[in-house]
Amino acid sequence: MSDSIVWIVLFPLFGAVACALGGAISKKICYPVSVLSMVATVWVSVDTLFQAIESPIHEISYILGGWSLDLFPRGVGIEFRADLLGALIALVVTGVGLIVALYSKVPVQRETPGKEPMYYGLFLLQISGLAGIALTGDAFNLYVLIEVAALTGYGLIALGTNRAAAATFNYIILGTIGASFYLLGVGYLYLKTGTLNMVGIREVIEAHGLFDSPAMQVAFVLVLLGILIKMAFFPFHAWLPNAYCHAPTTTSCLLAPLVTKVMIYVMIRMVLTVFGVEFSFESTWWTEFLPWLVVVAIVCAAVMALAQREIKRMLAYLIVAEVGYMVGGVWIYNYYGLIGSVFHIISDACMTLCLFLGAGIILEKCKTTHFNGLRGLFSKMPLTMIGFFIGGFSIIGLPPTCGFFSKWYLITGGMVSERWEYMITLMFSTMVMVVLFFRLIERIHLAVDESGKNLGKGHGDLGLTKQQTRFDEAPLSMLIPLLLAASVVLLVGVYNQEVVDQIEVFLQPFNLPTGVKYE
Amino acid sequence: MKKTAFILVLCIGLLLAWAVQDFPAWGDPKSPASSSPVASHFIANTGVDTEVPNMVTAVLADYRGFDTMFETVVVFIAGLAVFSILRGGPKSRTRDREFVVDFEPDLIVTNTVRLIVPVIQIFAFYVLAHGHVSPGGGFQGGVAMGASFILIALSWDLKTALARFPIERCFTVAALGIVIYAGIGLLSLFLGGEFLDYAHLAKIFPVSPEMARYHAMLGVEIGVGFTVTAIMFALYASLSTDGRMRDGL
Repeated sequence: MSDSIVWIVLFPLFGAVACALGGAISKKICYPVSVLSMVATVWVSVDTLFQAIESPIHEISYILGGWSLDLFPRGVGIEFRADLLGALIALVVTGVGLIVALYSKVPVQRETPGKEPMYYGLFLLQISGLAGIALTGDAFNLYVLIEVAALTGYGLIALGTNRAAAATFNYIILGTIGASFYLLGVGYLYLKTGTLNMVGIREVIEAHGLFDSPAMQVAFVLVLLGILIKMAFFPFHAWLPNAYCHAPTTTSCLLAPLVTKVMIYVMIRMVLTVFGVEFSFESTWWTEFLPWLVVVAIVCAAVMALAQREIKRMLAYLIVAEVGYMVGGVWIYNYYGLIGSVFHIISDACMTLCLFLGAGIILEKCKTTHFNGLRGLFSKMPLTMIGFFIGGFSIIGLPPTCGFFSKWYLITGGMVSERWEYMITLMFSTMVMVVLFFRLIERIHLAVDESGKNLGKGHGDLGLTKQQTRFDEAPLSMLIPLLLAASVVLLVGVYNQEVVDQIEVFLQPFNLPTGVKYE
Repeated sequence: MKKTAFILVLCIGLLLAWAVQDFPAWGDPKSPASSSPVASHFIANTGVDTEVPNMVTAVLADYRGFDTMFETVVVFIAGLAVFSILRGGPKSRTRDREFVVDFEPDLIVTNTVRLIVPVIQIFAFYVLAHGHVSPGGGFQGGVAMGASFILIALSWDLKTALARFPIERCFTVAALGIVIYAGIGLLSLFLGGEFLDYAHLAKIFPVSPEMARYHAMLGVEIGVGFTVTAIMFALYASLSTDGRMRDGL
């Protein structure tokens, strides 16, 4: 269908309305309705991606309301544009949404009993907002969709345990500050260019030579600052760990892989499409400054992750570190760094999903995700643990998982730009991840407790009773999504060349430096 | 801490002040925002494209109707989130109130409200229906409508207002508002146009494409009005009672 791009946003929207309306009659229909609408959404986003790949200019444009784009600068109506980057991110968003929707049956019933219609309504609207962010070609429409995604996020998080409300309040304050900065920046952009269309803004910047204009530079700083707050970049990360830690299981599974990653997509979109490469990288001072901030961000986040004794909280700090990777990949300013950043958005979404699904199952079965309660879990839930550790290995960056390949491109980028500090930080953080996950493996497989004392009696004995190590796997509705996510991690890793090819097609027109200068 | 915050605020303030030197002059007709072809297109063509005299409404509900649809969704989300968070919260919320309000509704107040409420509601309909001709529209009309129910709750009690507009029906009406808005967009999609391209509605209604845009704008404003009315009242009912839906202010 030629309209599939707009259906990506409409299917979840109508699904949400159906949940809110139908939920008043019977609460049981919410789960099937959301799974069905997510299946349809994934179908249309796959269709959109293939349309974008097959089209000669590698993008499809859709004008809502049917207004013409003939003016210069364009921007009478709102445009939806799916270039290869946008279509890939939209597919990631909807794919994660489908897997989490499948997974949600048991945890939603347990954690928010009686509130299913509202919960699924917010859940689907969240996906609608995030997918819309990936597809919109209009700077103000982007703000509206960021608001949709943020407000649903606040609602979904606040439905968690008792402390969730306080965590959400923090998130609301910081998220609102971030959104206000972005909106102010867009206001400045409109003031100087007279259009809100992303491509239109870049055309005006190039046509009128606005590279040295103070108002444009302030607009860039404001937009960037807003997005950095929204993506939980290190000094602004304070809202994230508590919010994801106290949120209901399904919420953290949905938000953790998507929200920060989509915001990094917004940053790439702003840098490449709205302001343009020349403005963003060559006429300003922040290209020198930001990579050093990234170094601080990754080191601090990795050390804080090391200090955690609870799986969900540890994963939350890992996300903050991963955000640092991707921001760094953009700001070292070269071709490979950007390939790495874009590919890392995709692979980080897959592996974070995998880890949070695993942590959710652990929470469901053991009632805790503290490190002390993990002993003997492998004999109890072998399949869950395999899925969880595939995600963990991908975070570390072991081949053939997708994390290895994206990190490879990021490190290559650091080398090509001779940003040694960034490269060394990546290596350091990889070491920290190794410690984190092998410590977990030790807790799960061996009979040592927190102080290092051996509790077992000889080889293979965990110091637990038969009852405690009896095979007791998670319900299928939770296990299958986890294994699905784990296999996606492996598949994206094995077929990394196919994904990178599409990213390269997208990045080719921007003439980024490739750094080959030793001939 | 306060000093750091002050320095940060000062920095941002200086940054903003620095940008002002680059701004176009106040009210300058040659400024990019005023002279850009986009703005000129709105000014020159609103009447031709849509037959709507109120340019602002045409931009809001037609040229940029997709934004407005999601703004309506934002209102819906706000109501949904507040209602679901507060409902059936922790036990501590069921503690007795510090003072018990137990008196008959005041005679003068209730009789005044009895007179005022119909006027407010008719005015709300007027604002809503005249949105594309004069200042007004779905958001404003919806707020006035919602305020009339809040006034009933304030002058009698919440039970009286809830008897007229039960909380479950609030969410049905709010969802219905979005269905109306998105449904009009969808109808034009099915009739062969783009999503929200109202001109294609002329294929099934006996009007010109321009008048189809005119009437469809009224349609989406009604959708917005539904959602805003219901969510206004649902927010008041939830927040004033901590989600218990009884007693209240």
